[in-house]
Amino acid sequence: MKQLFKRRLVNHLIEMMKYLRLVFNDYFVLALLFMIGGLGYAYSNALKQLHAGTWWAPLVIVGVLLISVQLGRLATFVKDPDYVFLLPKESEMADYLRRGFNYSLILAGLIQVLIWFVMLPFVQVTTKVSGLELLMLLGTMLCLKTTWLNVDFARKYRLKQTWLLRGNRLLWRLIVPVLILGNAIYFSYLVSLLAAVLVALDSLLSRRSWVNRPLDWQTMIADENSRMHTVYQFFNLFTDVPSIAGSVKRRRYLDGLLGQIKLIPKNTYLYLYSHSIARDNEMSGLYVRLMVIGTVFLVFIKGEALPIILCLLFLYLIGFQMIPFYFHFDDNAFVHIYPITNQFQMKSFQRVLFLMLSSVAVVFGIAVIAVNFDNVVTIAGVIIGEALEIWAFIWLYVPRRILRGERNRD
Amino acid sequence: MTLEISNLVGGYSQVPVLKDVTFDVKDGELVGLIGLNGAGKSTTINHIIGLLKPFSGSIKINGTTLDEDVKKYKQQIAYIPEAPIVYKELTLKEHLEMTMLAYNLDQDVSWKRAHKLLQMFRLDNKLDWFPDNFSKGMRQKVMIVCAFLTNAKLFIIDEPFLGLDPLAVNDLLNLISERKKQGASILMSTHVLDTAQRYCDRFVLLHDGKVRTEGTIEQLRDLFPDAGDSLNDIYLTLAREGGQS
Repeated sequence: MKQLFKRRLVNHLIEMMKYLRLVFNDYFVLALLFMIGGLGYAYSNALKQLHAGTWWAPLVIVGVLLISVQLGRLATFVKDPDYVFLLPKESEMADYLRRGFNYSLILAGLIQVLIWFVMLPFVQVTTKVSGLELLMLLGTMLCLKTTWLNVDFARKYRLKQTWLLRGNRLLWRLIVPVLILGNAIYFSYLVSLLAAVLVALDSLLSRRSWVNRPLDWQTMIADENSRMHTVYQFFNLFTDVPSIAGSVKRRRYLDGLLGQIKLIPKNTYLYLYSHSIARDNEMSGLYVRLMVIGTVFLVFIKGEALPIILCLLFLYLIGFQMIPFYFHFDDNAFVHIYPITNQFQMKSFQRVLFLMLSSVAVVFGIAVIAVNFDNVVTIAGVIIGEALEIWAFIWLYVPRRILRGERNRD
Repeated sequence: MTLEISNLVGGYSQVPVLKDVTFDVKDGELVGLIGLNGAGKSTTINHIIGLLKPFSGSIKINGTTLDEDVKKYKQQIAYIPEAPIVYKELTLKEHLEMTMLAYNLDQDVSWKRAHKLLQMFRLDNKLDWFPDNFSKGMRQKVMIVCAFLTNAKLFIIDEPFLGLDPLAVNDLLNLISERKKQGASILMSTHVLDTAQRYCDRFVLLHDGKVRTEGTIEQLRDLFPDAGDSLNDIYLTLAREGGQS
């Protein structure tokens, strides 16, 4: 088991290195340096404006530290076939998982130290605090994280009282940290440290009562897959990750809309595109996220030209992200077997795009009009601009772009 | 008495799929678990291997439940899943090593046995290949080789014949008979009824989460004299009746 864990950890680290090298390419490192420099400068400027006794500062501290405690899940490196191949080894899985726990704790501990370090000046400026008390705060954070991870550990086992376990998750990972961190910032660092140490010890000692119970393989494997999915999703922002396959949601409330499609041969692709975009989490998630971010921007921005530019930019971004979906079904044998020509594929794709982009345009338009109610030029500009952009994008740009894409694929 | 299931109620979420299932598999016996799609065969098997937790009732292997002693319970089982599931990043050889490691098998003895099994299933020249790239039937063979490498007392085999070539089906049945003679118990779910009729000692017919009936083929014939002679006929009659009631 020791060997197995070691081997998997090494493989995992090699894989992570491979991706990190791709993420931290020269340009990104440069951009990151500038960003850190800029943020650092802004942070130090902001600190000069602050003084002890600011009423919202303790709330910010508790909030940031609370988020920090949530960072870093229990890494187990279990794989789908484990429940078959490791079946007879179940009793020794505790030893394996303990190694995973230790590894996760080190990693999460480093994150705690980093966030604590960044928060140091802020805490010092806004509250009266000694160096020793700051160290106590770090100790408190580390103990809370230990408890957090141990609850994640317990979850892999079939505990007798599941209600207690479920209560545990909310209680030990959120409520207790809020109380202890709040107490530290508002009242006493020492009391909080002692409480956190006790909670962590109690949690670690409780292990003895459950490591001999049956494992919940399904939860354990699902947890690990979801954890790795998050990691891959991050890498997927920078490079193509092969193992990232979007999850699918039923979304019954869209059935009415999807049901409008007439079931005739030329609508085959329309049927496919609309159903998969509506249910594929990766695609619709991206669409909704960009739409929400854009709307938020537009709500906060007043001006003549800026809202129009932002509006058009976001519209373009959303449309651009959707283009690769044209090829979504190319690997599916069915579409090649169906007795249909693909002359309707482009038309169907354009129809779906048109529906999606015009919905965004309407939402953006409403936001701009609501904010810049008295500015006729902006309102007119947004409406005309959006209409022109959608037309040009869908009927001029997309066909050319896809033609080029098809040539590259052959 | 190797496997003893009593009054098992269970399923995936809160809704029970299995309603009061009771049957057993004795030492050196091959029991066929028969039922339509969705009757609860795989659910029963998932409960036996401990993937699902019973809502009520108990499952004992040689007198031990999973809750009493995880180690003792699990070490007696070898399992062949319905859909072969292999490690993406391991070669065939490493899959075998993984099995030896997991079941604490002696390397020398096991490799001898492994080579015999690999030769039987014509995989002996593919030791350094990745089973993830194999066809369904070949991956199924990998699962069979891994399972029969062990000295398990109870073999749980979920629908083994789909995708296997006729030669492999025959070899698998021989392997099962051999293990049976050595005293191991086998529970096998299948839809291939004529094969089941020829090889299984007893049948458990599941319908809608309940044991509709169980017994040897002679007992079933006596119970349903009008249904016909073969297991196929008897089962079809029962399933149609079940659908109507």
